Amino acid sequence: MSTGFQKVSPMFVQRRRPVFPTVISSSFIFSILLALSFWPPVPFAQAQEIAAEPAFVSASPRTMTPGEATSGTLLFRAVEEGRYIQAPLEASDVKIEVTGLAARTKVTQSFYNPTQGWLEGIYVFPMPEDAAVDTLKMQIGDRFIEGKIKERQEAKRIYEAAKAEGKKASLLEQERPNIFTNSVANIGPGELVVIQIEYQQGLKIEDGEVRLRFPMVVAPRFNPSAEVQMVSLGTDGFGAGTGQDPVPDRTRITPPVIDPATVPDGTIINPVTLEVTLRAGFPLDGIVSPFHAIVKKKIDRDTVSIQLGAEATPANRDFELVWKAKQGKAPTAALFKEHYNGEDYIYALLTPPVSLDKVTARPREVIFVIDNSGSMGGTSIRQARESLLLALGRLQPTDRFNVIRFDDTMETVFASPVAADAENVGFARRFVAGLEARGGTMMLPALKAALIDPANTDTHYLRQVIFLTDGAIGNEDQLFSEIGKNLGRSRLFTVGIGSAPNSHFMSRAASIGRGSFTYIGDLAQISARMGELFAKLETPVMTDLRASFPEKANAEAWPNPLPDLYSGEPVLLTAKLSGAKGKLVIDGLFNGKRWAVGLDMKDAKSGSGIAKIWARRKIASLEQSRFDGQSHEEIESGVLTTALDYGLVSRLTSLVAVDVTRSRPEESALNSTHVPVNFPDGWNFDKVFGKSMAPVSTLRAQGTGQSQQFAQAIASDAFAPPASKGVQLPKGATSMELQRMIGLILLLLSATVFLVWRRKVRT
Amino acid sequence: MSRLSRALKPLAGLLLVAGIGLFASSYWIEAKAVVAQVLLEQAWAATLEGEGPVKAWSWADTWPVAALEVPRLGRRVIVLKGASGEAMAFAPGLMDGTPLPGASGTSIVAAHRDTHFEFLQDVEIGDKIQVTLADGTVTWFEATDRRIVYADHSGIEVVAGDGRLALVTCFPFGAMTSGPLRFVIIAERIKPGDRLTRQSTSR
Repeated sequence: MSTGFQKVSPMFVQRRRPVFPTVISSSFIFSILLALSFWPPVPFAQAQEIAAEPAFVSASPRTMTPGEATSGTLLFRAVEEGRYIQAPLEASDVKIEVTGLAARTKVTQSFYNPTQGWLEGIYVFPMPEDAAVDTLKMQIGDRFIEGKIKERQEAKRIYEAAKAEGKKASLLEQERPNIFTNSVANIGPGELVVIQIEYQQGLKIEDGEVRLRFPMVVAPRFNPSAEVQMVSLGTDGFGAGTGQDPVPDRTRITPPVIDPATVPDGTIINPVTLEVTLRAGFPLDGIVSPFHAIVKKKIDRDTVSIQLGAEATPANRDFELVWKAKQGKAPTAALFKEHYNGEDYIYALLTPPVSLDKVTARPREVIFVIDNSGSMGGTSIRQARESLLLALGRLQPTDRFNVIRFDDTMETVFASPVAADAENVGFARRFVAGLEARGGTMMLPALKAALIDPANTDTHYLRQVIFLTDGAIGNEDQLFSEIGKNLGRSRLFTVGIGSAPNSHFMSRAASIGRGSFTYIGDLAQISARMGELFAKLETPVMTDLRASFPEKANAEAWPNPLPDLYSGEPVLLTAKLSGAKGKLVIDGLFNGKRWAVGLDMKDAKSGSGIAKIWARRKIASLEQSRFDGQSHEEIESGVLTTALDYGLVSRLTSLVAVDVTRSRPEESALNSTHVPVNFPDGWNFDKVFGKSMAPVSTLRAQGTGQSQQFAQAIASDAFAPPASKGVQLPKGATSMELQRMIGLILLLLSATVFLVWRRKVRT
Repeated sequence: MSRLSRALKPLAGLLLVAGIGLFASSYWIEAKAVVAQVLLEQAWAATLEGEGPVKAWSWADTWPVAALEVPRLGRRVIVLKGASGEAMAFAPGLMDGTPLPGASGTSIVAAHRDTHFEFLQDVEIGDKIQVTLADGTVTWFEATDRRIVYADHSGIEVVAGDGRLALVTCFPFGAMTSGPLRFVIIAERIKPGDRLTRQSTSR
């Protein structure tokens, strides 16, 4: 780049030698001053760098596997370790049974080993975060294997031993609460593999709507980074789902998919059959599938069967089913029970009153905390500012509020919370509007300050802490325990800002803080997302919820304590009882008044999968108790015992299945070079893998003249297009060179303009 | 004198200022990268003395987790936790979610091609890489592969390998803007058994 300068500069020097000193003398000092005011000129460089950080990697402390699979995918281990070939999917059948907010899904998929070799397959599938995976069945050729639950390490040993002995074996592990992998050893040439997985799942209700999603896109595809985030954000690596959707707007993210019409020979179209049996537990106002044609059939008064309209549907769009509750005036409750291993399991579904217009909400005391550290640079700080300004605008004169900002320093706008009158709010608005992103991140002092609450016993105000940050911090545990210890009557609502907020931190912080987590991905989402949050913050909330069971029932209820109820939300309570008899009383404070409902447990409808959901909730609660001072050993043993007792795959347990007889002949190697690099007929490489599989020659063309390095690298086979996506790598370059280049060009331009001016002045 | 020509002088000044600003900004990036390593060395020394994670400056978002050396090239860098943009402005970063170097699986260390990992292009297969962790353990790695991959199709699996190290930077070196390609050095842990012999041959 400096060559350009050398070519041009002699011209100036020869023809207008006196020019430069003049320019420099007239504007030198000024320019230095101005340049200094740019100091430190980081935002330009950082804005790009930050965006490059792959969200999913930072989200989980213990990620492990191909995190890119967005649906069940069988991968065959290729020649080189860590690289996989995706197996052709033959057919897929999905059965989902919904009871209240519990869904049991049974997925049966058949895959085919198209190669001439013996293979080890890795089956990767994403799950809802609170999915309790308890069943794995596998049919390989004519053999049928069912998985048994074991401690994770032991299961791995059993699997490896079987694999080495040439036996068919499979191992189902939880990589993260929402990503599971299933390894299958010794699949013979040309064999058909049938995999069946069952899981139990809790559904979320929002504004009277329940949304069920099944990741159906089974054809391999090119995933945009947002998709990767969607699968991987917000998991905690400790095995517990927080019950919060990490990406509340995941329905909005529609990944590009292969259009079946563009596949001429039609081989990638996956015949999928799907059936949902829906017992919603409340009167329905409609059932909709936004992306697929469905056929509804009424089975009885409470049950509806939903099937995909066509016999076989191209699996190019995730299946979504939405059902809406009829609006009721008073809190209603539904009760289901299941008898399992000699004990009764119940769950209660509590729907709060939806018509809240006539009720006035309690006045609020709102503490806003805004992160203006350097990591918030660029659009993040703008999003945070806009969101906060919007929130300030929603305050009522009867409310009280305060604003705290922090980077590596901290400022509180008012010494203590003040009335939200026009003057105070105006002052705070001006303060917020002037915030710029700079400095490091010291979150703890700000969090502490926000939780300081001298009037802890006051019930007049509803105290809410709203935390706007990208969560770029390392001392998460410290913050969690601070929230756990000093929350008091406050409720913590986190608002995640930017393209890659630390959702693990924010969803868990909100969960410990008994509030909610709102994710704002870009500026355009602010008003919609904040609007949803305001609805929660401003409508009367049902607090201090308690469930009491008959003394003799020996009830163990989860979650414990019960979370607060916001408008549109029900609470799902699960409990284990020695006998589901007598009355279950759920009571709470609603709008300052105590409210209670008694449910006779003998009236409970029978449901299935409740024991598993109970166990899953218990595991999740145990994992969460880590931050309430529960000892590590207690949590580990609690999680392990529960997972083993209920046969659930968890952070500490896996399902393993081993065939009794050897199937691979001794002389054939497993996982060897037998895997052909060429795919069988009907597999269109480019269509399936997109640019990752671009032949080397294209790349050579792209790299022409870039550097000798490139040519060498390609010649030495350094460029190996991997079959799997693997880890998303961060950006490894600064804008240093670019800045230097543009800087030079500007300097040259400046000189040219000056010369032109001189000429004009003289003539 | 026309209005246009009157506007020319301030325009020249403005361009000059902007040019100098950008120029300075680019050196600021470089200066940060260099100065940070000095501060990080101090923090690292304190870390090795057993003070637990030590931040190089109090407001840092991250802290040193390892020291990485390529003796043949005489290069040494301190590695920070996390390969975020902020961390990488100061030092190479160990990607969150990947194991500590030497542990089972693949550790990924990323840095900018124009600062800390400029030397990556000179690393050859067979080169020894020494990594020191905060507890003082030293692990040796041997470079086994040089690869160019797409950032979103790296083929690098965190679970793969037994003590594998992937050093990652942008590719091609010396380019002006960053593209989708990454340059990766793969190195395998040298097991205690063969460590002595290999070390002695390299001397």
